[in-house]
Formats: sequence, structure tokens, C-alpha cells
Amino acid sequence: MSPFELVEPRSLHAAIHLLDPDDASIRAIAGGTAVMLMMKAGVFRPRRLVSLRAIESRFSGVETGPGGELRIGALTPLAVLERSAVVRREWPVIARTLATLSNVRVRNVATVGGHLAHADPHMDLPPVLSVLGARVTIAGPAGERTVPVASLSTGYYETVLRRNELITTLTVPLQGRKRAAYLKCTIRSADDWPALGIAVALEMDGAAIHDAGVVISAATDKPTRLAAAEAVLRGASLDEATLARAGEAAAEGLDIVGDAHGSASYKKQLLRVYLGRAVRAAAKGAA
Amino acid sequence: MKRPTQPTETPQVGRSVPRLESQQKVTGRAEYVHNLRLPGMLYGKIFRASVAHGRIRRIDVSAAQAVGGVYRVVTSDDIRTLLPEPYYGPAFHDQPILAIDKVRHVGEPVAVVLASDPHVAEEAAHLIVAEYEELPAVFDEVQAMTSKAIVHETLKPAGTFPDLKHLKGRTNTNVALDFHLRRGDAERALATADHVFEHTFRTQQVMHTPLEPFVSVAEPRESSLTIHTASQSPSFVRIELARLLGWPENRIRVKVPFLGGGFGAKLYVKLEPLVAVLALLTRRPVKISLTMEEQFFTLTKHASTFRIKSGVTKDGRITSRQCEVWWNGGAYADIGPRVTQKSGFTAPGPYDIEHVAIDSYALYTNLPPAGALRGFGIPQLVWAYESHTDLIARALKLDPIEFRRKNILREGRPQATGTPMQDAAIDKVLERLGVLLDWERPFDRGSGTVRRGRGIAIGFKACISPTTSVAMVNVSADGSCIVYCSTVDMGQGSDTAMAQITGEVLNLPTEAISIVHSDTDVTPYDMATLGSRSLFHMGNAVRLAAEDARAKLRALAAEVGLTAETPIADVFRKKYGMQAGNVIGTGSFIPSYTPPDYATGLTPNATPFWMVGGTGAEVEVDTETGHVRVARLVNVADVGTPINPKIVATQLSGAAIMQLGFTLFERMDFDAAGQLRNASLAEYKIPGLLDLPREMVNEAVVAEQRTGPFGAKGVGETGTFGVSPAIANAIEDAVGVRLTSLPLSAEAVYRALRAANGEPLPEE
Repeated sequence: MSPFELVEPRSLHAAIHLLDPDDASIRAIAGGTAVMLMMKAGVFRPRRLVSLRAIESRFSGVETGPGGELRIGALTPLAVLERSAVVRREWPVIARTLATLSNVRVRNVATVGGHLAHADPHMDLPPVLSVLGARVTIAGPAGERTVPVASLSTGYYETVLRRNELITTLTVPLQGRKRAAYLKCTIRSADDWPALGIAVALEMDGAAIHDAGVVISAATDKPTRLAAAEAVLRGASLDEATLARAGEAAAEGLDIVGDAHGSASYKKQLLRVYLGRAVRAAAKGAA
Repeated sequence: MKRPTQPTETPQVGRSVPRLESQQKVTGRAEYVHNLRLPGMLYGKIFRASVAHGRIRRIDVSAAQAVGGVYRVVTSDDIRTLLPEPYYGPAFHDQPILAIDKVRHVGEPVAVVLASDPHVAEEAAHLIVAEYEELPAVFDEVQAMTSKAIVHETLKPAGTFPDLKHLKGRTNTNVALDFHLRRGDAERALATADHVFEHTFRTQQVMHTPLEPFVSVAEPRESSLTIHTASQSPSFVRIELARLLGWPENRIRVKVPFLGGGFGAKLYVKLEPLVAVLALLTRRPVKISLTMEEQFFTLTKHASTFRIKSGVTKDGRITSRQCEVWWNGGAYADIGPRVTQKSGFTAPGPYDIEHVAIDSYALYTNLPPAGALRGFGIPQLVWAYESHTDLIARALKLDPIEFRRKNILREGRPQATGTPMQDAAIDKVLERLGVLLDWERPFDRGSGTVRRGRGIAIGFKACISPTTSVAMVNVSADGSCIVYCSTVDMGQGSDTAMAQITGEVLNLPTEAISIVHSDTDVTPYDMATLGSRSLFHMGNAVRLAAEDARAKLRALAAEVGLTAETPIADVFRKKYGMQAGNVIGTGSFIPSYTPPDYATGLTPNATPFWMVGGTGAEVEVDTETGHVRVARLVNVADVGTPINPKIVATQLSGAAIMQLGFTLFERMDFDAAGQLRNASLAEYKIPGLLDLPREMVNEAVVAEQRTGPFGAKGVGETGTFGVSPAIANAIEDAVGVRLTSLPLSAEAVYRALRAANGEPLPEE
């Protein structure tokens, strides 16, 4: 690790102006759990790190806004979100997802904004937030813009964020009648990066599925909506045949490559199986 | 911590004394080499080979040398100005301190950058450029037998150990050692057997993963060197450095505080020769701390292939067995040849078999070196012979426990070497497993996509021999007591055990006794902390030393006209007129041993004691994904009479959990060019709390090792023996598929299920 400049601005405005749209060796650091690993591995050699820990405290915290939507400051540690009473009550799928996200040491330090901006496709929250219709507010020199979480990531470690933009707030609409679940499958240890993540949000109409949102993560290079599976589920009754058809629809045509977690054909099998399990879990409201 | 000091009549042995160092450790006050900083110290960063096998054409260190703050860049050329033959190793002097002429595995140390700032050293190391003429490489242990790629042009046996003396220099071979055992006529017996079974099993290369990576510091003095090192074998480090430097032992001092885990990785010499020569070249203290990633290139556990063939009678008696084992030793022999022989002779398993043939080969390949890892080769062997045993029982429609009951080695019966079994409670371990698993009761076999099964496995191990331990027990004038021994407490609780043994002899509370950690200028010789030998060997030496001190105290009391019951402080006061003086008891222990006959591998006395371990597993298999969940893991062992029952239980569970990782998912993943693809804890996963079996039972059977200290023997490795085959046997019991290679990954199970259904999953 070679020497670098570490700056700790006192405001978001100052932080944004310490970043450089054209210099990849200048980056913001929040919890640092991902950045430090990349620095230790030598794949990221910073010239300057802009620490966000001293900016205005309003960028950290969990509150509900007008219409009951959830607003989460980007600097909120994942563990704070996990323990938040309102999250547990109104968005239980988020709290349950966080309980198995990496490990407690990471959750205590890593932040919501950093988690989303890092855009490792193995991360747990992006698929869940995508099916819940969440959006992020992004601040840059020219002001603010809002982007759905579902279109934040553009590829492995890549997002729509410019180098001098920062996520400031995550907003999650009320879950309302939506029942949601997230299941992940790890291949090596339980706390391994997942081979596959599946988030499902359902609106049920009695025993039938009125509407469905399905997003896969980890097995693809960015969280990906499974529109074909959604189409099979929409309006169908929740039975084995439907789930099998939805699983086939999901696996078919999806570009999955083999890696250390498993071959492509095995991961497609996992997708077929976990899709049905996630839909059932969502319908039960149990996961 | 408040510690009692008054004499006690309470038995100290057999008491679950909390570990003496626990408070120091959990409050961050325990001493580790990682925390050591010396004035003027330089930090070394190693530049490593990027090819698996290559002749070094050129090493360009100019850019590294030019980095501000770099003190010096060192290659083997510099080392050879000091040592003409800078090769080390316990079995072969085959490992250069830094690569000379050739590199033999990816990650081999090639050069070192020294700087006062470790980050500068690291940065500069990135700037070194090496050019290689790539040579054909060999990675598979069976292919290495006949490969044209030769890892070492000539073999250089060390002859350090008496039983490896027959190793002689050979050329044009990758076979570092071939061990052969013949008892009876296995070939003929197989030809006439009612049933013959043959299977081949494989294990993968894995890593010890001590959470404290390797670290060593060398401190040059006027005419001596002090080495501070995280080593399991301080005495060996001293002797090997003395040999390399041509110095007498007393000019090298080796100090070892606590270790953050060892598991067989930190044995013999590792970084010590490198920091020693760097300190001598620079006349400054030099420290090298490896990263977790670098550990993968330092020492690993042997991958192996084991072909096993058995002849069995109609009624289920095993009459003959042929074992061929190939050990993938990697680029340097380390202790591999000893694994090949010392574990090799137990390859037929804990069974009473009349006709036995064993061929066990230590192979050089172009992978990172392999050595001992918690079991010294035994888990690889048990994996094969207990999978094989289960397959035979299934084929003959015999109950797995009943089949074993018919065939196990019982007290007094000759093991493969001809050595009669003594104090080896194989039968008790087997029977207790049956009880703890409720074997006779109906078993819930699951339903739907979750199928349940159960399996057992038993294994045994001989303790390496002959090895020596020496101890001193010092009783001060106030009656307090200090034990000097070179056993290294790397988490196994040896300090506590040695204090318990001393306390038992001297009627002192364990908590009142101090242990002096390894310091070769202070603590006497010990072969090493390895192979579950310390409690038996050092325990016996400490017991003898304490008994010697007790006899001397009694003599002192008699000399000054006091009874043996007089408080010790009063005896010293009467002798010296004040609180002065001390009594030093010494003890030295080496068990008897008869080396095996070179031609037949037979010996009447192969080991000072046998370790026996068995595991029962109940598993749940997800038939749609192949995921295996261990619902219940039962570990039963013969550890003799436990000195500290709580530590025995945690040693059994720790070993079993470690082996669980090697069984289910740990694997060093090499590509076709010998590059390791998962050299980090992000990609090489070890079991965490969430991976534990839902229920675990860890139990020692009632037993006694009559030659051990207070009936005890070693336990550090025993929990590893049966885990892998018990789980594979349980998987077959659950879903009817048999896996013959480790790890038993979910994908491997699922593929086997699909293949069994005639719908194999496409390869990609």
C-alpha cells in the first residue's frame, strides 16, 4: 500500500468537490469494508480517499416520511437498519435479509450508501430493494437526481453514479399489501458470497398471484429482473406447476456463467429451485 | 487474576481447570510475535514466483531498489555470499531460502525487499521483475510417478530423523519416498477370496488457515542471533539454523510466545532461515509477517489418491487388503516423507487383516508444499478405508457396525506392522458410537426433497516415534513453582495441562503454577509440538521433573531434620537461614521404539501409543440442490484418561469442525497452469458458527493409556479422523449416491443424483 491523501470534509458539498469526475484514484470511503479489501489486494491504489464520516449527521439515520415511506440516510450502518423497529414492523423482508448479510462485523461498519454504490452483484440488498420499488437520491455538483435502485447498477462494480456523485438517501415505498421474500444460496460456508440470490414481491388476490416482481442477483453480473418468470406468475394460481414453469422461464435465456460457486448448468438448477421456494416464502410472508 | 498459592490435597488431574491464559487472551494482553517491534527493525516483503516451474533467467530489482525508503533488496545471490548451501527442510535439504536457478511452484519466494516501513517494502516488491524460461510442470500426484517433468534434478535427503536415514539421493524421479509393507501374502489371498472389492478415493489440497499468519523476527547480537517466531518447533529451529550457519546451538536463541493457531503449518523451519540471513546481511533486526494470502503458498495439506482393494469372506471377514497411496507433496518435501511412512503404515485401517500390502509414495509436484495438518495424513487414509468399508458392508448387506465389529483390531492383536495393539479402545469407541447414535432404533429418513441418512467411521493413528521431551520444574523458596518446557501453547491448552500434571505431583493448585514459554536459552529441548505428542511425551517429562523436584524437596527436608510434611518455605528457611534457594527437578522422556524393517515395513514396536477416533453423522440432503446439512455429529475418542475433560471435549469438537470444512467445501482451486484462484479468505471459506452441525456430541470413552502421564494420551488430532467418511456414508444412506472425492460439495452431490437418475447435468 503506497501513501495516499485521506481527507475528512465536514459537509456533503465539500465531499463532492473533493471528488474528481475524471480521476479513478480518488474515491469516497464510508464504512470502508469493500474499499479496504481492494486496497489490500492491490487492485485499488488510491491517490486520495474522501472520508464521509464527518459530513452532516442528517445523512445517517432511519425515518419515515410523508405517505409512510422509509427514508434511510446513506451513511446509516447496515446494523442500524437491521435493528430499526420501524423496518422490522413495516419492511420485515429488509430486516430478515440483513440478518444473513455477510457477518455482524461487516454490518456494524458497512453503510447503506456504500453497499449500493459498490455494486458487487453478490450483494443482498439491491435485489430486495429493487422488487420493493426503492429509489436512491444522488447528489453531485449540479444538484440532485433520483434513480430507481433497479437501474442503479450497470454491471460488475459499475453503476450510473459519476465519480463525483454520492448517494445521499435511500427511499423505500410502503410495502403495503406486497408480500416479499429474499432467498440466497451459498455453496461453501454459510457466510460465503451467494451463488444465487432471488428476491420476490407478490401481490396476492386470494390464492392467485395478482402481480409479481422477481429479481435475481449473484449469478448475473448485476441484479436482473426476471420478466419471463414474472409473466408466468402474474394471474396464475400458486401451485407446483406454475412454480416449475416460472423456474424454467427464469432459467431459459438467462446468461449465467460458471465460477467458483458452481457451473452454469448447476446455477440454473439452483435458480429453478430457489425461484419456486422464494415465491412460496413470499406468499407465506415467512422470509 | 487472583491465584491460590496454598498447597492442596484436591486432585489436579481430571479437573476441568479453565485455561490459565484465557483472561490474558480475551483482554488482548497475551504475547504474540505479531506485536513485537524492535528498535531499528526492518520489515521484509517477499516477491514471489508467478510460474509453477521455470528456470530463472533474470531478476531485475533496480526499480524496487530505487524506491525511497527501501533499505535493500535481497536475492539468493546475496544469501550465497553468506551460506554456500542455503537449503533447508526436515526430511530433505531441498528448499532454498530464496529460489536458486529454478522456481518450483507459484508463490515461491524469489526476492525480499527490506524497508523500515512495511508499506514501502510492499510497494517496492511490486516493482521487481523476474523472467523465467518456463518448464513443463506436473500437478497430479499419480501423474508425478511417471511424469517427464522432474521437480528436483537430484534428491537431497537430510537424515535428521533416525527413521528417514535410509532416504538416499536419487535422480530423475519425483518420488521422494516410497514406503512398502508386506505381511502375509495379500496377492494370493485376494485371488482366493469370496469377494473382492476395489475402489479409488481422492482428497483435495487444503490449507491450515491459522488466524495468526506466519511471522518471524531475527535480532542480530554481537556473535549470536535471537529468533522470535510463531513456531511449533523452537528446538528444531535452533538446530536447523545452527546447521545452516555452521554455528554451535548456543549462539542461536529461539523464543516463542503464544501462537494464534498452528495445526501443523508452523513446524520445522519456515520463515526463520530467511529472517536470520537477512539480519546477518544487514546487521539489523528483520521482521517478516505474512499476509493471510501468502499462507496459501507456504504450507498446505497433501492432496492424495488412495487405491484400496480388499478380499472378504462370505460371512464378512476381511482377509486381505492392498493399499496404494500417492501423496501430493508439492514442490518441497517438508515432512511429507514422514507422513508417507508414519501414516502410511496404518492405511489398512483399524482392522484385523491377515494379509496386507501397502505401497505409499511421497511425490514432488509443482504445487505449494504440503506437510502435516491436524492428523498427519490420517484423515486422508480414513476417508478412503472407511468409505471402502461402508461400500463393502452395503454390498454384503451387512450392518455397518456389525461388519466393523467382526473385523476390528482388538487388544493384543497385531496391526499391519505386526505391532500388537495396546491400550487402543477401538471396540469401545465403535460400541459407544452405536449407543450415541441410537443405532438399533428406527431412523427418520425424511420425506419430499429432504432425505435423511446416517453413517459412521472409525480411524486410528500411531504417534510418531521416537521423539524426546525434556522438562524442568523449579520450586522457589516460598514453595511456588515454575515449569520450563518447550511445548508451544498454540491454543490446545498445553500450559494448563502441564500445570495440572505438576500440581498433581507437588500437591499445588494448577492456577498457582507458572509456565515459562519456549526460549531455547532457558527451556530445555523438545522435539516439537506436533502429532498429538506433547501431552504424552512432555507430560511424562514434566511428571518426571516434578517427581524429581518432590524427591529433592523431601531429601532437603530430611537433611535439615524436618518431616516431609513440613511446609516448603520452612524447609528452605531452615536450610538457608532466609527465603533463599530453589530446588530444580528435571525429567527427560523418550519412548522405546523399533524401526520398521526396510524391506517388509514390519516392526514389533511401531508407536508409543495409539489414538482412536470415531464419528457418526446424521445428514439431511436436499435432493433438488445437493446441499448437505449435518444435523448431528457424534465424535467419540480414546484419549486415555483425560487430564482436563473440558479441554478434551473442545479439542474433539475443534478438530471435527476443522475436518467438516475439509469435507464439505474447503479446496485450493488451481488452474491448469498451477495458479491458485482462491488465495484469500473471501474465496477460500472455512466453517463459521452458522456451518456447525445442529447438534454435536464429543465424548471420550473410559480408557487408560498405561504408559501415559496419569493414564493420558494426546487428543489434538483424534476428532478429525472419521468426519469425512461418516458424512459420505450418511449421504449414500440418505440418497443412494456415493462420492469418492473430497470435498462433498452440493454440486457434486447433485450431479451424482442426476447421474444416478440417468439424466446427467451438462458439464458447463
